[in-house]
Amino acid sequence: MSPLIVIVLRTLAGLGLLLLNGVVLIYMLRKVLGHLHLRLGPTRVGPWGMFQTSMDVVKLLTKEDFRPTQADKWLFRIAPMLVFVPSFMAYLAIGFSPTWHFANLDTGVLFVFAVLSFVPIGVMMAGWASNSKWSLIGGMRAAGQQIAYEIPLLLSVLGVAMLAGSLDPKVIVESQAGLWLGFVPKWYILPQFLGFWIFAISAQAETNQTPFDMSEAESELVTGFANEYSGMRFGFMFLAEFSNTFIAAAVGTTLFFGGWLLPGLEHNAVALALGPIIFMVKVYLGIFCMMWVRGTLPRIRIDQMLAFAWKVLIPLSLVWVVVFAIILKVVGA
Amino acid sequence: MIWGLGIFRAMAVTMRNMFRPTLTVQYPDERLVIPERARWALAHKYDEVGNPKCTACMICERECPDHIIHLTVSGDVASGKHIDEYRYELGSCMMCGLCVEACPFDAIEMSHEYELATPDAGKLVRILLSDVPAASGKRAKGDGDA
Repeated sequence: MSPLIVIVLRTLAGLGLLLLNGVVLIYMLRKVLGHLHLRLGPTRVGPWGMFQTSMDVVKLLTKEDFRPTQADKWLFRIAPMLVFVPSFMAYLAIGFSPTWHFANLDTGVLFVFAVLSFVPIGVMMAGWASNSKWSLIGGMRAAGQQIAYEIPLLLSVLGVAMLAGSLDPKVIVESQAGLWLGFVPKWYILPQFLGFWIFAISAQAETNQTPFDMSEAESELVTGFANEYSGMRFGFMFLAEFSNTFIAAAVGTTLFFGGWLLPGLEHNAVALALGPIIFMVKVYLGIFCMMWVRGTLPRIRIDQMLAFAWKVLIPLSLVWVVVFAIILKVVGA
Repeated sequence: MIWGLGIFRAMAVTMRNMFRPTLTVQYPDERLVIPERARWALAHKYDEVGNPKCTACMICERECPDHIIHLTVSGDVASGKHIDEYRYELGSCMMCGLCVEACPFDAIEMSHEYELATPDAGKLVRILLSDVPAASGKRAKGDGDA
């Protein structure tokens, strides 16, 4: 096959996965949040309300695409793309099994964080271009918060990178194969426990989820930066949000939970075939935990949140990097 | 006391909620039993034969603080009263139940009919009785005060 066709097919597969994830995750979020709150979630469309999000997609696609007259015309149009495209690009670096991946990147983890750092720019652009004070506040908050939490997020990954000696998702996962003491899987969650917590908190903040959903803050800012958007432009932002959740969980699975590996199921044909399924199950469990946090904790204040990032998480992750480097050097010697 | 422990306690609570039955009542499909003393639309009571117990004494009309009960009566006590119309303005009723309390013959009640919304404003004025003979005001012997 010509490389161009391969690229097109892979892109379409990635887009399909993203859209499917979006639909499934929105339904899952509404159901999980509902039951966490003793509610039911959607029940009306299809069995157990299963087709609710599909109907929502149809609704978004057919809605009027509205732009406020005073809005900045071009920035308003570019912003949803700038939010959506990076989160689509990040799928490139996710490895689903030793053979299933969209691209073979030597620095895949770095690539994910690099492209995702574009998202706050798009969010802030959307907030600014909408010419609405609520959107602007949302955009500003998003910029402040995502830039603050990107630092501990990146630093928390350093420990894993030191352990695995690579930023390639494939190498990181393969280096987690095997068992300690014959029964504990060699996943990096154990040596990198602190790193994992910092990663989990920062990921929750990076994906704009409660308790860190300051840029959206329904009860204060309606929908924050996406306030003035309608139809599929809003749909793109919405999709990007859920696809970022998926990416965060996928990166977390790769870094800390052994990716497509299961103890006892390594390096054989069955493992190779089941790899993507195991990976997806782990990712969805991770997403469930994120939704669990989301359904439990109330939104904190923006100043509390930024203070927590700059005064606690960043120093903590810096100290942890240094301490872990020393431990690794001493143990390794 | 460990800092941050409350987060985990809260998460235990929400996880427990996951496995508890939901509080949601899916209204048109499921209905709660409403309390026995709930006061909704005014309704007449009928005797064993099916005649209204109303004697057209007019006490409810006089007692109503909203002036929404209108009785048109013909005839007199001697020859037997006749109720031409018992009109009740549901839309203006505040369900206070004073008419029921005032009724000396236990002839009206606040019913449990609570789905009162209607797209037709005319339906908010109800003719509860029309062209029926009023019950006799005399009580049967031994009939205690209701």
